[in-house]
Amino acid sequence: MSFNLLQQHLICNGGLIVVFGVFFQNRAARIRVGKGDKPLTYEQAHPPHQIGHRKGWLSQHTSNLKGEGGAAERTTEDVFIRRFMFGTFHGCLANEIVIKRRGNLIIVCALMIQKLPPQKFYFLIGYSESLLSHFYKCPVKLEIQTVQDRPVYKYI
Amino acid sequence: MASYSTKAFLILGRINISRSRLQNATNRATYVSVLSMNSPTGNRASCRYQVGVPRTEKMPVDQDWTAVYPSAAPFRPNAVPLPVRMGYPIKGGVAPDKKANLELIKIPNFLHLTPAAIKKHCEALKPFCTEWPLALDTDAKCDEHFPIKVQTTHFVSAGPSLRNPSARIVHLKVKLSSLNLDDHARKKMIKLVGSRYCKKTDILTITTDSCPLRKQNYDYAMYLLTVLYHESWKIEGWEAEKTVADMEEYSWENSPSQRNLLDTLTRMKVVEEEGGEEVRQQLLGQAEVQEYKDSVTRLKNEGENEDTLLQYKEAVKKVLKL
Repeated sequence: MSFNLLQQHLICNGGLIVVFGVFFQNRAARIRVGKGDKPLTYEQAHPPHQIGHRKGWLSQHTSNLKGEGGAAERTTEDVFIRRFMFGTFHGCLANEIVIKRRGNLIIVCALMIQKLPPQKFYFLIGYSESLLSHFYKCPVKLEIQTVQDRPVYKYI
Repeated sequence: MASYSTKAFLILGRINISRSRLQNATNRATYVSVLSMNSPTGNRASCRYQVGVPRTEKMPVDQDWTAVYPSAAPFRPNAVPLPVRMGYPIKGGVAPDKKANLELIKIPNFLHLTPAAIKKHCEALKPFCTEWPLALDTDAKCDEHFPIKVQTTHFVSAGPSLRNPSARIVHLKVKLSSLNLDDHARKKMIKLVGSRYCKKTDILTITTDSCPLRKQNYDYAMYLLTVLYHESWKIEGWEAEKTVADMEEYSWENSPSQRNLLDTLTRMKVVEEEGGEEVRQQLLGQAEVQEYKDSVTRLKNEGENEDTLLQYKEAVKKVLKL
């Protein structure tokens, strides 16, 4: 959390004094306004409170419904898959990864920049699919789409 | 690095059964690339892979859409020939278009469930279906031939495991009027099951969830029903000790209300007449007394509402000749 100027002044005078009226700024998943040359995707441009209003969910499965179990396991799977994809397709990811589940099938949808030759892409897709399938004991399918450049929503 | 050639090679998706189609329905990577000989291997910045024509340009208007989206798949902008836009528009602009739109990929789409596709599904399922029996054309007939209704829930969820502990619960519903019970057996059955019987709908609901498997719970429920039925027909020795407090319904015979009414009426009549038993019998036979009896029984059994109170008032007025 960031403090405003008033709070910082009080700290350097000695001792930590809790002051009412100090407001904390929420920094979660927000890219701060800059000079106007920073390109942002649609995902990055909208902060988390817009989820459900202007943004959808990156990962959808039944465990998040009321009375269903297994939410923690699915979340850890999601986190691992995102890191794995980020590392395997290094520098090629144009946007966040969307994970869908249908029964025990995991579908990983990703947007890639056309950085590698297609043979490498195919190899990496096959490698990821087989490795993740063996790891999770479930069929894992990758749906890759490629674009020339990162899709820009606005410039900050 | 593989040697480049000027020949364009068409990248197909996974090799699948319908090789005759040039445009593969399961094409994962949605572009065609041609590599030129002049591009240096290491220089990524200037090495731009040429992107081919998207599939939407080559689609005829009367194509078979079920071949483009044969099963559930995420949104592919190069395979859907619709100019859709999705997202919050930027200031002074429009919503972002379908190319590289993550919002369109996030949402579930039903492009694989067009009416033509559903027709094909139905045609494929028809050989496995049988006709509904014509004799069962009304609900009443179904209830008459199949009085026991068993309700179970099956669960489908996302994840590697099929098991769901809530799937073992079995509800068995049966109407007591469809069982062969006489008056005593019916009352005993209702006492035995307690809150599982709903008086308004006359349905007995047995819910079993104590066994780990659905089949075991179903067998247990059927066993309970059988045992209840047979037990309610038996008459035990201690049932003769049933008191007024155990009665389910109010009966006017030998009740305080009857005694009070007869006392009042005998005192209203000529005092000298010492009839005793005969007078009481004669009084009981009168129509007003019967009416009073009906109104009191109704009041006690059904509770107090406008109708019953009105009936009681009228009956009292007639009996006491007011």
